Amino acid sequence: MINRRQFLATSAALAAATALPVSRAFAATKLDIFTDSDANISDWLSNIVKPAFEAAHPEYEVNVVIARNGGLDQVAQRALAALNAKADPQIDFAEQYDPNLPKGGIEAGLWVRFDDKLVPNFAHVNKAAIQSPYSMPYRGSQVLLAYDSAKVPADSVPKTWDALVAWIKANPGQFIYNRPDKGGSGKNFVVRAIHEANDRDPALFTASNFTKEEGDKRLTPAWALLNDLAPSLYEKGSYAAGNTAALQMLSNGVVSMVPIWSDMVLQGLDQGVVPETIKLVQLQDLALAGGFSASVVPTIAAHKDGALAFADFLLTEPMQTSVLNDLGGFPGVDWSVLPTALREKYAAVIPASIPTYPEGDWSTALNDGWYRNVAPNITRG
Amino acid sequence: MTVERTEARRFPVGLLLVAAPVLLVAVFVLLPAIAAIVSTLRPDAAGWSFSAYARFFGDRLSTGNLLFTLVSTLVTSSALLLLCLPIALYLRFSSGRLPTFVQSVAVFPLFVPGIIVGYALIRFMGPNGTIQTVLHAIGINGFRSPYLTPVGTVIGLVWEGIPLTLLILLSGLAQVPDAAIEAARDVGAGGLRILTGIILPLIRNSLTVAFSLSFLGVFGAFTMPYLLGPASPEMMGVFMQRTFSELQDPLQAQTQAVMCFLFCAVVGVIYVRSVARSRRKSA
Repeated sequence: MINRRQFLATSAALAAATALPVSRAFAATKLDIFTDSDANISDWLSNIVKPAFEAAHPEYEVNVVIARNGGLDQVAQRALAALNAKADPQIDFAEQYDPNLPKGGIEAGLWVRFDDKLVPNFAHVNKAAIQSPYSMPYRGSQVLLAYDSAKVPADSVPKTWDALVAWIKANPGQFIYNRPDKGGSGKNFVVRAIHEANDRDPALFTASNFTKEEGDKRLTPAWALLNDLAPSLYEKGSYAAGNTAALQMLSNGVVSMVPIWSDMVLQGLDQGVVPETIKLVQLQDLALAGGFSASVVPTIAAHKDGALAFADFLLTEPMQTSVLNDLGGFPGVDWSVLPTALREKYAAVIPASIPTYPEGDWSTALNDGWYRNVAPNITRG
Repeated sequence: MTVERTEARRFPVGLLLVAAPVLLVAVFVLLPAIAAIVSTLRPDAAGWSFSAYARFFGDRLSTGNLLFTLVSTLVTSSALLLLCLPIALYLRFSSGRLPTFVQSVAVFPLFVPGIIVGYALIRFMGPNGTIQTVLHAIGINGFRSPYLTPVGTVIGLVWEGIPLTLLILLSGLAQVPDAAIEAARDVGAGGLRILTGIILPLIRNSLTVAFSLSFLGVFGAFTMPYLLGPASPEMMGVFMQRTFSELQDPLQAQTQAVMCFLFCAVVGVIYVRSVARSRRKSA
């Protein structure tokens, strides 16, 4: 009979033996990769990116650090303080962060300025996605139109705003968008109307140029466009209470077309929650708005070379394909560098442009204005 | 002498027992509420002013939402009484397995989180949902789903409110003596006469309590109006949340909250008075 001490010794030895293969023959450098994105992203980093990167670069070990709910802001503040104190910021890479934060960071030289010498694959990044040279866009999501191909014949699928308006009016009750404050799908549809009313020029709206007068001048014509649509919408002007609610109505066959986030519908199709008859299309005169997630690297990162290697790795073809297939996101690199098969599969949703609309005052004005001017306009009998 | 001493000794013990909850209410409910009211009356450092309220009442969207909330709440609370009273009467005056079953079904909503009910109701009464499919199968077309209309909100809130209203009415009905009803029946009173002449006056307090509690619960409701209601008009719960987080206007959100508080306070007074009355009666 085995006594307690023997048992402990044996199990300790066993545990050590099983742990052995994990620790490498040489000590790998540990990279601290921070993220504050949702669980689907941090899972993707841990389960797909980490093993692939470690296989390609055995000299590094990836440590995924989850800093949700503003945690990353504090880490960035700490990094800025470390820069001034010439200390280790204890962060090598942030998966998604606004390089304009913390204030004065760029001027102080906190973030690496990306170029294709530091990160060779940076040359492939979609030019439309680059908002700042201090961050590296690697995945995106954009609102597009999802429609039921069983009910909308291929030749009547709208490809421009005018065609969409004509389609909505010709098929009353078959289109719905969600309330702009309840999800980006509906919000970016409203944004598209705003762009339409302003010469289709997204550049007119920047984070700093909002004034009350400018807001009234730019937004009022958009409300007219949306009010013109209202009587032809589902139930003559009903608005779904969220992205999911709108997608459900499309999946159930209640409506035939909705604006929706690309990653939501692609993931839904992949999981079989959304029927296969649902197809996607992007407007070609000016696409519906979207956004990119861009990564930053502190200039003083203890393992800056490793961080840059990681950044470069994210832009490689396997990882970008994985962004599409596993995340339902859009690639950060130009579509032209991806495999032809993949490009053909998503041909209909490849945008000619990726317009954006600023957060802050412009978004507040959008929400308030829509509720005051568009939502009450219900002609329910 | 002895009596006085016992009372004197009991007094601090009783106070100590209620001190903790009272303190909790004071620190976490009363103080923030007072601070909120004060801040709506002092929008900036300049001094006291009613400008936040002037803005609220000068804004048709805000007053419209307040009126809509009031109407929705009155409709919901009345519907709850009308729906629950017959069930309660049935449960009170019958016995056996069926009433037990009915009661457990009626109390069931108590155990289902609101957000789940919301989504279940969308699938049930929503477009192409269960109701429409069944109606269609038996040849009735033209069903218009209440989803995303004010009626949708009321249905959701009624579903959620049934257990509480029913339980209060049941406890009131339990105090109606069988003897009184039998006596009335002996002198030839019909069912309706017994209801209006004996039962309703006897459970008047429970009716008031049930009405005011459901009113208070529904007035500030969020989940059901959010999931099932229309984009416009909005109920105050949804409106406040949107004002606070989307429009980033805490001052107006607080003003809206104070307006809700005023309406609820009126109903609260009715509730407290009716509770006090029943306590006096039983004392």
